[in-house]
Amino acid sequence: MTRFWCGLKAAGRGALIATLAGLLCVGPASLVQAQSRAQTQSQARAPGPAATVAEPPPAVAGALRLVKGEVVTEAVRLGVDVQVEIAGPVVRTTVTQAFRNTTRDWVEATYSYPLPEDAAVDSLKMVVGDRVIIGEIKEKEEARILYEQAKSSGARAGLVEQDRPNMFTNKVANVGPGETVLVQIQYQGVARQTGNQWSIRVPFTLTPRYTPPDIAEGLIRPVAFKPAGPSNTPIGLSVRLKAGFPLASAGSRSYRMKVVDEGDQGRLFTLDDPKAIGDHDFELTWTATPDRAPQAGLFTETVKGSRYVLALVTPPAGPPPKTPPPREVVFVVDNSGSMRGQSMEQAKESVVYGLTQLKPGDSFNVIRFDDTLETLFPAAVSADRRNVGKAVLFVRGLEASGGTEMLPALLQALSGPAPRDGRVRQVVFLTDGAVSDEQRMMAAIGDDQGRSRIFMVGIGSAPNSYLMTQMAAVGRGSFTYIASTSEVTSRMRGLFDKLGSPVATNLTARFEGVQADVTPAQLPDLYRGEPVMVAAKVKGRGGRVVLSGRVDGKPWTRTLALSTAIKGPGVSKVWARRRIGEVQTDRVLGKIEGDAADKLVVALAMRHSLVTDLTSLVAVDKTPVRPAGEGLREEDIPLPLPAGWKFEELFAKPAAAMAKPGEASETEQSVDLPQTATNYPLTLLAGLMLLLLGLALGWRGRGRGRGRA
Amino acid sequence: MTWAAPAWRGVSGWRAAAVALVLGGLALLTAGLWIPAKAVLAQLLLERAFAASLASGRPVKAWPWADTWPVARIEAPRLKQRVIALEGGSGEAMAFGPGHLLRTPTPGERGTAVFAAHRDTHFAFLGALKLGDEIRVVGRDGRRTRFEVTSLRVVRWNASGIDPRSGGRQIALTTCWPIGAVTPGPMRYVVTGRLIDAATARAPTGLRSRIAGL
Repeated sequence: MTRFWCGLKAAGRGALIATLAGLLCVGPASLVQAQSRAQTQSQARAPGPAATVAEPPPAVAGALRLVKGEVVTEAVRLGVDVQVEIAGPVVRTTVTQAFRNTTRDWVEATYSYPLPEDAAVDSLKMVVGDRVIIGEIKEKEEARILYEQAKSSGARAGLVEQDRPNMFTNKVANVGPGETVLVQIQYQGVARQTGNQWSIRVPFTLTPRYTPPDIAEGLIRPVAFKPAGPSNTPIGLSVRLKAGFPLASAGSRSYRMKVVDEGDQGRLFTLDDPKAIGDHDFELTWTATPDRAPQAGLFTETVKGSRYVLALVTPPAGPPPKTPPPREVVFVVDNSGSMRGQSMEQAKESVVYGLTQLKPGDSFNVIRFDDTLETLFPAAVSADRRNVGKAVLFVRGLEASGGTEMLPALLQALSGPAPRDGRVRQVVFLTDGAVSDEQRMMAAIGDDQGRSRIFMVGIGSAPNSYLMTQMAAVGRGSFTYIASTSEVTSRMRGLFDKLGSPVATNLTARFEGVQADVTPAQLPDLYRGEPVMVAAKVKGRGGRVVLSGRVDGKPWTRTLALSTAIKGPGVSKVWARRRIGEVQTDRVLGKIEGDAADKLVVALAMRHSLVTDLTSLVAVDKTPVRPAGEGLREEDIPLPLPAGWKFEELFAKPAAAMAKPGEASETEQSVDLPQTATNYPLTLLAGLMLLLLGLALGWRGRGRGRGRA
Repeated sequence: MTWAAPAWRGVSGWRAAAVALVLGGLALLTAGLWIPAKAVLAQLLLERAFAASLASGRPVKAWPWADTWPVARIEAPRLKQRVIALEGGSGEAMAFGPGHLLRTPTPGERGTAVFAAHRDTHFAFLGALKLGDEIRVVGRDGRRTRFEVTSLRVVRWNASGIDPRSGGRQIALTTCWPIGAVTPGPMRYVVTGRLIDAATARAPTGLRSRIAGL
C-alpha cells in the first residue's frame, strides 16, 4: 500500500479524484482502453506495418521488394530520376531511385529494373541506411559466396544479377526498418534507327510474363508477376542528345518535354509535367535533316590500351524501285490475354495496315495465337481483294484472351513449302513478347536456315524487346516497336516500305591496315534507309574500314578512315556486349560448346565490367570511417543527388523527424522508449476505494432504514 | 435508478448507490488483477513457445491469435529472474512480456538491443540490478550471449541517448521511472550492459578478412 500512496503523491489528489469521477460515468472498460492508448502512443510514431501481402507485388520499373521469410512487400518509393546521355548511337542512362523500408523488420530487399534490349549495367552505387555501397564486377559463383558470407555475418552486401537478359536485379541484405535505400545504376544501350528516324526507349513498366507450363523447372526460372500496376511516384527525366548530325526534329510522344538547344552540348530535354508518373515507357525520337543525312558515322573509344570502333553506315538513298519483286508475307498476331486493351487494338491496326499494303502479285497468310493457334488459309493465298477482305474481317474479330504459346505459332509460320518463283518469305510477328522461352524460339528460327526473314513488331506499353530483337537478328529481319495507336500507321508504313525494298545484300565489313575483331560476324540485309552498324576491336594505328555489298544487283562499296572517328564513350562496351550476345546466340544454336561459351562470356564481362548471366556486380561496402555514433553525412553520398532531392528529407530518421524542434539535437540518435507502466496498482487502488465507499454507503443506508422502521 | 438528488432521500436510492459502487469496485479490482495475472500466465505459455521455436528454428506464436512471438529469454541470474521477450515494443506485446524494440539489433549483434517492459510486471526487477550484474540472453536461434551491467540511468522517454547503431555490442533494458510509482510519466529507467561473451558474436576470421572491404 505504501507504494500506492507514494504514487498518489506523485499524481496529485486532484487528478485521482477526477479519474474516479470519470470512472463512475464511463465504467472500467474505458480505463483499459485509455491505458493501451497511452502504451502505444510512442509506437504509433513508427511507420505502420505494411508486410501483409504474400504474393509478389506488381513489377513496375525500378521496384524494391522487401522479403522477410514468406512475406514480400514493396518498399515505398520516394523518388525516381532518369538521365540519358546520347552521343551518336551510344546511349548512357543513369537511373536514381530512393525507397524506404516501411516494414517493422530487418529485411532482405531485391531491387529490379527492366532494361532495354542490348543494355549493359556497368555502374551501381547505393546508400542503405547509413552505409555506402559500390558495385564491383565478379564471377557469379564468387560473387554469390561473398554475398552469402556477408549476409550471414550480418554485414550489408548487395548482389547484382541478371536473371534474364533484360531484367536487372540487385539483392540488398539487411535493410533496417525505416531505413532509406538510395540506388543508382548506369546502363548503356544503343539508339535504334529505322529509316531516317532514331529513337531510344526508357522502360518504366514491365510486361507480366507468361511461362508455358511444360518448361522444365530450373532451366528457365519463371517470374510470377501480377500485371504491372501504375506507379504513383513522381519522376524526373532529362535527356541530352548529341546526335552527331543536324536535327530535323526531335521529341517525345510519350511524355511532355521542355527542349533547350545548347549548341555543341546538344539538345537538352527535360520533363515538363510535374504530375507525370511512370505509368508508361518513355520514348524519344529524332530525325536527321533529310538531304544531309549522314552517309557514315564513325565513333571510337580507347579502353585499357585497346581501341574500339563503331561504324554506322546509312546506304545511299535512291528512288525506290517502281515494281518491287513479289513476296510472301505471313502475319502472325498474338491475341493472348496480355495483349488485352490498347495492345490488341494496335496489333489489329498494324495487321490491317499490312494487309492493305499487299500488291496483287503478293501472296499471304494470317496466323493468330494465344495458347491455341489458328491459320486463316491452309496455305498462302494470293493477295486479291476477296482474300484480303476475308483476312481483314478475321483480324478485326480477334479478342485477347488465354495464355501465350508463341512457339507453335512460330513453327507454323516457318513451316510449309518454300514460296514459289524464289520470292522471299517475310514473317511479320506481332506480339507484346510476354513469354519466356526465348531459347526455343531462337533455336526454331535458327533451324529455318534463313528461308524466312523474321520481322518482329513489339506492341503495347512494354514489349519484351530483348526477345524480339534477338529473334529478328537470328531471322535476319528487324524489330519495330509501336508504343501507341497513333504510331501504328507511321511505323507500319516504315516497316512495309522496308519489306518491299531490300537495298543491299551480302554486306561485309573489312578493316584494312589494322587487325580487327568485328561484330556482327555476318551482317544482316540492308533495307531502305536502315543503317548497318559494325563494332570492332582494332589493333594498330590508322587503318580504315571498307563496307561492301550488292545494291540493286551491282557492287557497292564505302570506305571510312578510322582517324576520322568521333570520340564516343562506351563504344568498347557496345562491342563487348554485342560479342557476348553473339556467343550466347551461338550456344543456343549449338555452334559452340557450353563451357567454351561460358569462358568467353566471363572473360569479356570481366574486362568490360558487364553484368551477364555469368558475372555479377558485388556491392562492396565502402562506408567511410567515421566516429562512433555519427551517422551518414551528405558528403558520404557517392553520387550527386538528382535535382530537387534533399539529403535531409531522404535520410531523416523517422524518430528525429518527429521530434519537436527544440529536442531535435538531443534525440537525433536515440530510440524513443515506450510507456512501460500498466498502472494496474492504480486500477486496484481505485477498485478498492470504490468497494469501500460502496460498503460504507450500504452500511449507512442500512442504519437509516432501520431508524425509520 | 438515477444519480439525481431524490435518491438520497429514499432507502432504495442508498442501496442502489452502494450496490453500484461495490460492483464497480469489484470490476476494477478484477480488471486490475487481470493485468498481473495475464502477465504471469502469458509467460508460462511463452516459455513453451520459446522452447518450441528453439527446437524448430522458426518463430512460434504462443497462442494462435498472438500478433507477436518470442524472440529471446532474458535472465538476471543473481536475482533468479527470467523472462521471455517478444518481438516489438507495442502495448499488446508488453502485456505479455518485455518487447524487443523495432529498429534495434538482436542481442549480440553490433549496436544496442533495446528491450522494454512494464515496471510493475516483467521488469519490476530492473530496480534491483546493480552495476557488474550479469544479464544472460538466449536468442531465438539458441545463441547465448552474456552482458555485464555497465550503467544505470534515468532519462526522458524521447531523449534516451540509446543509439541502436552505435559501435560495440550492448543491451539496454528499460522500464518506467520511478519504478514504484503508479501513474504514467515521461521518465524511463535504463539498464545498459556490455557484451562479455565475444566468442559467440564474432564472425569467422577467414571470412572477416575476405569481406574486409564490406
